Amino acid sequence: MNEVESLARKAVRGAGYDWGLAEEAGKATRWTCAAGWPGATALAHLLDHTKDMSKAELGPASLTGTWVAKQGVLCPITTGASLCDLASDWADGRIAEIGPVMQPMLLIPYLVWAADRTGAALSLRLEGLRLTRAEGETYLHDPDIARQAAQADWVRVEPAGVPPVKADLGARLNRAYRAELSRETVTTLNRLAKRTYAPETESSRLGGAGAGLSDND
Amino acid sequence: MVDAISPRDPNEVMKLDRLGSAHQCRLSFMRQLLRRMSRENWAFETPVFDIDAKGVGHAVYTARGPEHSYSLVAFAHDLPPEKRSDRVIATAWDATFTLFDGVPDADDIARLSKNVPLQEAGRVSDRELSLSRANRSVRLWDHVVDTLASGQQPDAAKVGDVGYLMRTTAVYGSGKFGAADREQTRHRPECAGPFQVEMLSVYLTRSFVMDLVEHMARMKAPDTAVPIDPDLRRRFGIGNSTGLGMAPFLVTHPALLNAWVGAREEALSRVRSLPKATADEAAAFRLLVARASLHANAWTSEHPLQINKLQALRADMIALQAHLAKADLISQQPWDRLWEWAKTALSLEGQEQLAALLLEPYGDLVDGLTECMATDEHVTFPIDGTMRTSVLREILEGVYGWTLTIDWDAPESHARVWYVSEAKLEPRLGERYEEPIEPYEQPLGPGRDAARLYVALKEVDTSVAAFLLAHPEHRHIARRAQIAARLPYAEIRDNTLSATMLPIDMLRLKLSFFGACHFDPRSDRWLRINMFQHAPFPHELAQGSDDWTLPPLPIAAQ
Repeated sequence: MNEVESLARKAVRGAGYDWGLAEEAGKATRWTCAAGWPGATALAHLLDHTKDMSKAELGPASLTGTWVAKQGVLCPITTGASLCDLASDWADGRIAEIGPVMQPMLLIPYLVWAADRTGAALSLRLEGLRLTRAEGETYLHDPDIARQAAQADWVRVEPAGVPPVKADLGARLNRAYRAELSRETVTTLNRLAKRTYAPETESSRLGGAGAGLSDND
Repeated sequence: MVDAISPRDPNEVMKLDRLGSAHQCRLSFMRQLLRRMSRENWAFETPVFDIDAKGVGHAVYTARGPEHSYSLVAFAHDLPPEKRSDRVIATAWDATFTLFDGVPDADDIARLSKNVPLQEAGRVSDRELSLSRANRSVRLWDHVVDTLASGQQPDAAKVGDVGYLMRTTAVYGSGKFGAADREQTRHRPECAGPFQVEMLSVYLTRSFVMDLVEHMARMKAPDTAVPIDPDLRRRFGIGNSTGLGMAPFLVTHPALLNAWVGAREEALSRVRSLPKATADEAAAFRLLVARASLHANAWTSEHPLQINKLQALRADMIALQAHLAKADLISQQPWDRLWEWAKTALSLEGQEQLAALLLEPYGDLVDGLTECMATDEHVTFPIDGTMRTSVLREILEGVYGWTLTIDWDAPESHARVWYVSEAKLEPRLGERYEEPIEPYEQPLGPGRDAARLYVALKEVDTSVAAFLLAHPEHRHIARRAQIAARLPYAEIRDNTLSATMLPIDMLRLKLSFFGACHFDPRSDRWLRINMFQHAPFPHELAQGSDDWTLPPLPIAAQ
């Protein structure tokens, strides 16, 4: 999982997002993988699509009203950042209407962090899916097809009610310790991560790490 | 009634030159590990030691705790001298290791024998908790094998000069190269503290290396070889070469850095707050300072910077002993009065050595703080976007006030670039104005970033969420600022991009928390250290003493 997070963070940075967003997206990818979901594949698809786009166009045009992109479809990395930033608002009862958004699975960890930050139970709905985060656990009514869609036309984030009735929340999500990434996903993410590495020269090799002395002593 | 002394100001503690003068203390991770294993009566055995006359083969060292066992699987190799390199880019070593979760069977050993010797180029599994390698100190190795083989003991002065027979050149922990993630073991009490798995791996490596050198002497001369005298054996630690790769860790884990430094500062403030000390505590402390003086004398370096620091430290130890000879260590907050004296009388090396020594007589008062040295970084990670930008600006003035007086347009203020090289994927440090590396810069200059954010917030009055949506380039530092506002020791309050910055200062801080001694910089960006020198071996742990890091006084002086 450490390796997934690190690879995802570098790939997001390599795709042109700022470091702060990349750090969060790395953790978000790790979270989805720990849920046993193909989050890394979702990230690879997303970055393939957004890597050459202006990132300023991908987030909500405004944080009031329904969140929509300035142009086209919202990116879950930039949208998720705002969703998590405003955790206190959702805890206070504000409802977020969001959409349309790409790779909605990647939005879910940000909802989880927002709920955990304040302790308020929050629900995320999108067509065919309802997920609730309450008391550090995730519950969901979850036909895979909704979560794995390449795009959701709408997403709604709202308080889950106090206290939520757990029987109504759906199945509790268990975490996994290992992530299996497809070769194709790894190739895509590695290709983007590589953009963050500086090409090597002999002077940088010797100077950069500060060595060059004999070690036979 | 006397007042409690507050922990030191982070603006004083978190300066690089002071962090770079840090010493191991009771809270260090090696000390935690050995205290636990002693307290819990861990059992140790060597179920496999299959190594030939050329020094090639494998061995297994198992440590059995109350609930779990851990086994160091060691592979010994016959390495030609030209391949011996401490650099992380090396591809062959004298010995390679993994710490196995449990006791490995023959299939595990077969699998590991195909991967562990390759290190980064191999792949381990979630049954493994660490991956490491070590090279011989050729000079001392040959001397020890030859003397033992001839029935003699090694020359104590030569042992003292080097201090170890092998040095590790990388110890990879959780989640690297397929090894288990920390999440898999963190709920176990013995793994909950920081770097406990890695420290156990190094501790068992020391046993293996000592057994191996005696084995090699026996293979060379079965009729005459002798084992090392037990007292001399304790003087061997395990060396370690550490380079730049470790430095960014302190910047990328602010909450953890706060947990470590905060625990130490709380411990120091508790001791300084004591209204009085007993005669026994005062006597014990004077003895400790005498031993610390021996330690300072035995500590050598060829690096000009460290030579100067060591001269200062030795002078400090003399001054401290002279002061202690007449000081009242019994009444009127004696330790705080000593500390106040030291602030002007001692160099940074001496002050930080004293800070560590003051904790020694007070295990009951401070050892419990080790429970606070692990942290759940997820808790502090999310940004509070409902904060007003005016509040964020006030935070910047408080935590990063020192950056606001720096001329960030001057090349020397940000001469360095931290980047990752394509060839080895390791952190490097380059020159911003001499190499085309700025596009690859890693976010490891929080001071500069804070100054930039401060400027950007000047004319703004909105929510942090709205500001960061429009300016995502500031998300990284906005998060750090919010963390540092809650956790006083989370941020190095010094310029990590400056032309005069010394990465070895960052390395030393981290390694001193490990419990390392004898820091020996080989340049401004890598150094050698000694780990577990003087430590009891597994069969000696039951004696229960935690008092091992400083060298013992000669018998006559006790």
